[in-house]
Amino acid sequence: MDILHNMGVGFQTALEPVNLLLCFIGVLTGTLVGVLPGIGPMAAMSLLLPTTFHITPVSAIIMLAGIYYGAMYGGSTTSILVNIPGEAASVVTCLDGYQMARQGRAGPALGIAAFASFIAGTLSTAGLMLVAPPLAQMALKFGSPEYFALIFLGLTTVTYLASGPLWKSLMMAALGLFLGCIGMDVAIGATRFAFGIVELFDGVGIVPVAMGLFGIAEVLLNVEQSMERTVLTSKVRNLLPTREDWAASLPAILRGSVLGFFLGVLPGAGPLISSFAGYAVEKRLSREPEKFGTGMIQGVAGPEAANNAATGGAFVPLLTLGIPPTAVMALLLGALIIFGVQPGPRLVAEHPQLFWGVIASMYVGNALLLVLNLPLIGMWIQILKVPYPILFPLILLFCVIGAYSLNNSITEVGIMILFGVIGYFLRKLEFEAAPLILALVLGPMLELNFRQSLAMGDGRLFFFFERPISATILAMALLLLVMPLIRGVRQRGSGSEEA
Amino acid sequence: MNRDRVSSGLFFLLGLLVCLYSLTYDLGSPVAPGSGLMPFLCGAAMCLLAVAGFTYTTLRKQRRETGSPLFKGRAWQKSALTLGALLALQFLMKPLGFTLATFLFVSFLLRVIVPQRWPVVIGVALLTAALSFLLFEVWLQAQLPRGPWGI
Repeated sequence: MDILHNMGVGFQTALEPVNLLLCFIGVLTGTLVGVLPGIGPMAAMSLLLPTTFHITPVSAIIMLAGIYYGAMYGGSTTSILVNIPGEAASVVTCLDGYQMARQGRAGPALGIAAFASFIAGTLSTAGLMLVAPPLAQMALKFGSPEYFALIFLGLTTVTYLASGPLWKSLMMAALGLFLGCIGMDVAIGATRFAFGIVELFDGVGIVPVAMGLFGIAEVLLNVEQSMERTVLTSKVRNLLPTREDWAASLPAILRGSVLGFFLGVLPGAGPLISSFAGYAVEKRLSREPEKFGTGMIQGVAGPEAANNAATGGAFVPLLTLGIPPTAVMALLLGALIIFGVQPGPRLVAEHPQLFWGVIASMYVGNALLLVLNLPLIGMWIQILKVPYPILFPLILLFCVIGAYSLNNSITEVGIMILFGVIGYFLRKLEFEAAPLILALVLGPMLELNFRQSLAMGDGRLFFFFERPISATILAMALLLLVMPLIRGVRQRGSGSEEA
Repeated sequence: MNRDRVSSGLFFLLGLLVCLYSLTYDLGSPVAPGSGLMPFLCGAAMCLLAVAGFTYTTLRKQRRETGSPLFKGRAWQKSALTLGALLALQFLMKPLGFTLATFLFVSFLLRVIVPQRWPVVIGVALLTAALSFLLFEVWLQAQLPRGPWGI
């Protein structure tokens, strides 16, 4: 009954004309940035964040969340028609989606991607609605050591799941934690590493850093490569999947939804890992695994369901524990803090309108996305045809406006450009930026809880292992840190045996 | 020189600088950690990870697994020009005003990076400057810098 009542409150908020309009703008922008390769939800949310300062926190979060899950929908269009992922989480959709398009089945591929996204998005929102309130109740019993352990686990998972050597992702996390130390010391109020720059007194802003690392760096890398691409648009028809397509796809969609939701809840996994896991599961369960990569509709339905379900799952730790599991959620956490809302176990009780309003808006948003993705497919194809040489100056310009509008400061633009250059070289040197962003946001929380825990335990580091919950979580984190080393030693052992 | 060894060297230096500068703040005691403790730990972690990365890369190199050159086959000059345009925009936004600076910025990139025809350059740049002024300045009231002409 409580849930029904709360959802009533939520829908009342979500269906207010202004919120409905902002939800529409959010999912439309999300689909647009998903469709356009080279600009993801992170850059788009960073760009639009300053424009939300004039509206209420509920409306702002409804719009920003819409961008996030909207991008998951849009990303599949580019994967299917251009064989370039519009968004990182759509990489795996290229494998079978593009093959379907080449065989003249672009319509069913786009159709099933949209339906899978809708079903998974709706199911994961239901999961969020059911899981979040009891988890928030449980989290009320957490103290500083448990929070420290959870944040540490989140950072460890991100570094574990990042591609490339472990030392590189850990380095990014360490750099992010250091950047998080810049500015006001949360415990005693003294400034650190600000060097007299007023804009740094409140810390390094996540928005200019994210726009630099993801938006500017991406453009700098793209302009030095060939910018030509071929769009397969000649045979986009029959968007509604046939009965056979549904029979093949529905189990994949349901499996992808469940898998994606739970992986989304885990710190660090997010839509990208979920989509790969969704694809791997479908391939493993298929009677014809060898046909995957040749245009199997399950290879589109499973991962598309998984990456959309993961977006709903990712809201669980953010809204209940105040811990963002992905870089995009870290940005959303930053937004909530800017609006004076502290995410965590008390959010459900203290800001029910925001919590239930955002959940209800996700149901509405998913329905809006289905409408945007099927009848308007022609419009997205036309946008895909805009040449990148004309598009990239606009992306850069929007980033500059976004950074400037934060505090009407040229210095913020400078910080964004600086991190653009840093991001460019990091990508060249094969370092991933996601652990850095997450660590930047989690750093102050980690430091505060670490210092409070040390004070509670009279300076004993072993204090973290004396409490069962923090001990269990830290043991899991340490296991994640050690596993790659064990795997490396094993591989070397088997390599030397073969030699 | 292998790119991973260069990056681990740079990160080692950065970590060392962070550690040394952290000492200017109070490190505190285990019971009452000071402001400098966390950055010091971050710097130390960066140094240790850099050493680990250098060792890992050196061992890999001995097994003949090396990375490709950083700029091979890439038109890095285009990235440098784009970066230059961004910096110019940053410094020209205040004296020229947002609209004119935007027009010049978009025109430069359209004409220089992948050269477009002049009508396209002028048309897109004008449209971008006008629409972004209307969208951000008028509609979203973003308070972008105004030049001597009031726009």
